[in-house]
Amino acid sequence: MNKVYFIATDKLSFLVERLRDNYTVFSPAAKPQNYTKEVDYSFQKTAAKDTLLFNPYRCVEPLKSFFTLAKEKAADYFACEDNLKDLGQVIIFGVKSCDIQAHRIQDFVFLEGAAEESLYRARRENTILISSDCTAFKEVCFCLSMDVLPHPTTGFDMNLSPLNDGFLAEIGSEKGQELVNNYPEYFAVAKDTQIAARLAKRNNLIERLKRELAPKNIPPTSIQQRLIKEGFSLDTWSQFMQTCVECGGCNLICDTCHCFLLEDRKSAGVNEKVKMWDSCLYANYARVAGGANPNKMRAQRLRFRFTKKFDFFFEHLKIPGCCGCGRCIEVCPGKIDIREVLKDLAKKLNLAQ
Amino acid sequence: MKNIYKPIEGVLENIITESSKIKTFVIRPKERFDFKCGQFIELTLPGIGEAPFTPSSDPAVKEKIDVTIMNAGKVTSLLHNSPKNISLGIRGPYGKGYPLHKFEGKDVLIVGGGVGLAPLRALLFGLFADINKYNKIVFRYGARTAQDIIYKDQIPVWAAKERVDWLTTVDVGDPSWTGHVGLITTVLNDLPIDMKKAVAIVCGPPIMMKFVTLKLLDLGFAPADIYLSMEKSMSCGLGKCGHCRIGKFYICKDGPVFTYEELKDTHDIWD
Repeated sequence: MNKVYFIATDKLSFLVERLRDNYTVFSPAAKPQNYTKEVDYSFQKTAAKDTLLFNPYRCVEPLKSFFTLAKEKAADYFACEDNLKDLGQVIIFGVKSCDIQAHRIQDFVFLEGAAEESLYRARRENTILISSDCTAFKEVCFCLSMDVLPHPTTGFDMNLSPLNDGFLAEIGSEKGQELVNNYPEYFAVAKDTQIAARLAKRNNLIERLKRELAPKNIPPTSIQQRLIKEGFSLDTWSQFMQTCVECGGCNLICDTCHCFLLEDRKSAGVNEKVKMWDSCLYANYARVAGGANPNKMRAQRLRFRFTKKFDFFFEHLKIPGCCGCGRCIEVCPGKIDIREVLKDLAKKLNLAQ
Repeated sequence: MKNIYKPIEGVLENIITESSKIKTFVIRPKERFDFKCGQFIELTLPGIGEAPFTPSSDPAVKEKIDVTIMNAGKVTSLLHNSPKNISLGIRGPYGKGYPLHKFEGKDVLIVGGGVGLAPLRALLFGLFADINKYNKIVFRYGARTAQDIIYKDQIPVWAAKERVDWLTTVDVGDPSWTGHVGLITTVLNDLPIDMKKAVAIVCGPPIMMKFVTLKLLDLGFAPADIYLSMEKSMSCGLGKCGHCRIGKFYICKDGPVFTYEELKDTHDIWD
């Protein structure tokens, strides 16, 4: 059982003010209302006297954007020492459970396997993740369908659960505990009544989200891999691709998508390798020299995205490569909805619930 | 900590023209660089780009690496037109090479097509180093025309070696060619091998690999005894960038050498 503390609302503001002396602090800021009339939140660098805003659901940007930048220098050549900028210590508030789940996948990609990426490792170590429970959800949210709860249970350094007069702060790592040890004056030991209140709030939201998702009939994780394997040759892929404009938005905003391209360039007379996010929906993603392209057809590219999410990651990590954050649904100008794709496969395979 | 994207420096010492579209680039790495036959490297043309290649030289030779390259895209065409003595970047080696120990005591059938002979040359050197461990090496090499045959001076030397049975075929004959004419699949009948203890290694263009594999299955080879050198758009080399994935595998990390047994349930492997 993780340690749980209580921090009053005003004390949290003081704490953030103090943290800014030693860390770059990012926290959610409300964006102007979007077309869905929902308030969107965006990770912003907190400035002096900023009030810490609690985001009831996830931010617009994927958490991955703190660990792999959309485009950045990846290496110098040859014996030349890598000249990486001083990363500094970073604290991110407002991380949600879906982001944490997606982070497991990013960690798996960049820290495990054949080798570890040093830049990712450095950023990971220099960053403290302060997550928080969701207290509401967006129309596109479907974390429960991916077996992700709307509050994180692991993978955070500290998790905040809002109560009436403050927050419960659950410690998830040594980094989180150090934060309490370094600033003990702001934290009190949590009372059992407060922990019971947290549980009630959590269960209440889960029930509300379940009721919201029930009529949507999103295929459960238990059959998702089967849908992709057995639905490989269905016309679902070409049907849903009809409205794709190949912008790559779904990949770029996806918190679990990790594909990147390495490029070489000469900058101020010095050669360097540059790494940038890539999208499997782009026509040239899998093309090889000479022109052969295993994903020549648009439908193949959509299927490639889904086999990665719902076959590859089930195979290697036993979880789907989707955290149910719904960012790809919001961003798609072609209105391609990942939930609808899964539902269509289930319907055509007679596996619908 | 080691930066996995940083190439080491190699000097392009020599360029050997093999055919109108294929050249061998002899690179002297400035740091120690070891590879096993079948593993691949990422070769950087500074400031321009990088591409994956399997070295074609003897893995036991440490001071230089040969990379035999067809002029097929941006990086390769610039390499083909590049002068000697420039610096190139090398990353790797990546992936798993040929499991030579599994070939011991066996009849080793090697089927190569076109520039696919390049990685197979490294394999040959690996096999020749311990030739007595293998029962025999039966090599079938196909090129489009006689002009497209690479390693022209070396093939007769290899073919004359003890335990080696070599046949070269061309798809389209011409008056200069006195050898066999016909697609590679036409020279796979009546092979001098004992099917009960044989393995097959196939490397070439996807369409050739597909039909050779089907032919070998037809001949009675078990899927687990057919070794394929797969090629996709490998970029990072470490299973991170995503590009070379087929099904649950990354070609770069889980391959590039696979048995057909491993791949037979994966879709679209020949595309």
